[in-house]
Amino acid sequence: MIPLQFVTAFLMIFMGIYAFLYKRNLIKLILALNLIDAGIHLLLISLGYRLENGVLPTAPIYTGYETLKGTPMVGPIPQALVLTSIVIGVCVLSLAMALTINAYRHYGTLDVNKLRRLRG
Amino acid sequence: MRRTVGALSLLFILGMLLLIAHPNYGLKFGLGGEDWQKYRYTDQYYIDHGIEEVGGTNIVTDIVFDYRGYDTLGEATVLFTSIAGAVALLRKWREENGE
Amino acid sequence: MGSDMGLIVKTMARATIPLIGIFGAYVVAHGHLTPGGGFQGGATIAGAGILFLIAFGLNEAKTRINKNLYSALEGVGGLVFLIAGMLGLGVAFFYNTLWHNGPIFNGEPGTLLSAGYLPIMNLAVGLKVYTGLVSAVFAMALFRRWRK
Repeated sequence: MIPLQFVTAFLMIFMGIYAFLYKRNLIKLILALNLIDAGIHLLLISLGYRLENGVLPTAPIYTGYETLKGTPMVGPIPQALVLTSIVIGVCVLSLAMALTINAYRHYGTLDVNKLRRLRG
Repeated sequence: MRRTVGALSLLFILGMLLLIAHPNYGLKFGLGGEDWQKYRYTDQYYIDHGIEEVGGTNIVTDIVFDYRGYDTLGEATVLFTSIAGAVALLRKWREENGE
Repeated sequence: MGSDMGLIVKTMARATIPLIGIFGAYVVAHGHLTPGGGFQGGATIAGAGILFLIAFGLNEAKTRINKNLYSALEGVGGLVFLIAGMLGLGVAFFYNTLWHNGPIFNGEPGTLLSAGYLPIMNLAVGLKVYTGLVSAVFAMALFRRWRK
């Protein structure tokens, strides 16, 4: 049985690739980029999960729960690196939005095919 | 023709992704016990020694700012560069001041 | 040109903007103790700033927000982060020298004044993210070069 969060993550990546192939609006392409990003984040976070003979893991935070030492905790490295990746996703979003606004101002349209035709 | 090839390649990609996700011969899900000690010893090291070495009780913050500090430095650089690029693309140009 | 929203949105924004800001400041300040950190808290405070911009309109926001100051503060946040990383340069880059033998931020693990340079870095990254996001959205709102 495939775990459900993997199916969800791969479905999100699949929908993003579909939108990349078949949509022609620039805003929708940016949304597809973010959808692929979110799917990859969900996949990486799911890989950090830990199942130790029936004991549910806890978040890797000790504040107020110092007695938790020794109990299973989920892996903190995927969470830290996904945090970095989220910031880079926000950066890509802002830069792509700026470029899209400039393209709309210059050409008057957001259609990719018309953008390719109207050169210069 | 192109749409058919696109749809077939998309189905192929989805099938391969689902094959990868299968726990028997793909991604192992929920490594625990011996596997965790064998493949994920860095995670276990950070969980065990994070408080003594760095001091924060939030292990994720310890990793982000101390163990993997260079990553955060690069992330800050990327953030600065992209915000500067967006502001520079959207500002008023000099020859268009008269509009 | 009135670009602000109606009375209901303005009243709700007046009520909720301080609460969002206080919550974001809490997330930034307790980044080494509770879930969250510099980036998340900074993004929360930036949400308050963007709500102000949307609810009260561009003309009101222009008088309150100085975008040159915000662009400068983003660079200041990055510099503070870099200097905090350089504090332990006698041993290595990003060495947490304040934690074991520093004069401050040396308390018991789990208290607010502990964990060496982590609170400084959280504040710096929070400031950087807040000012960066607000200045990016403000630049998008100020875009007035539409061709007639």
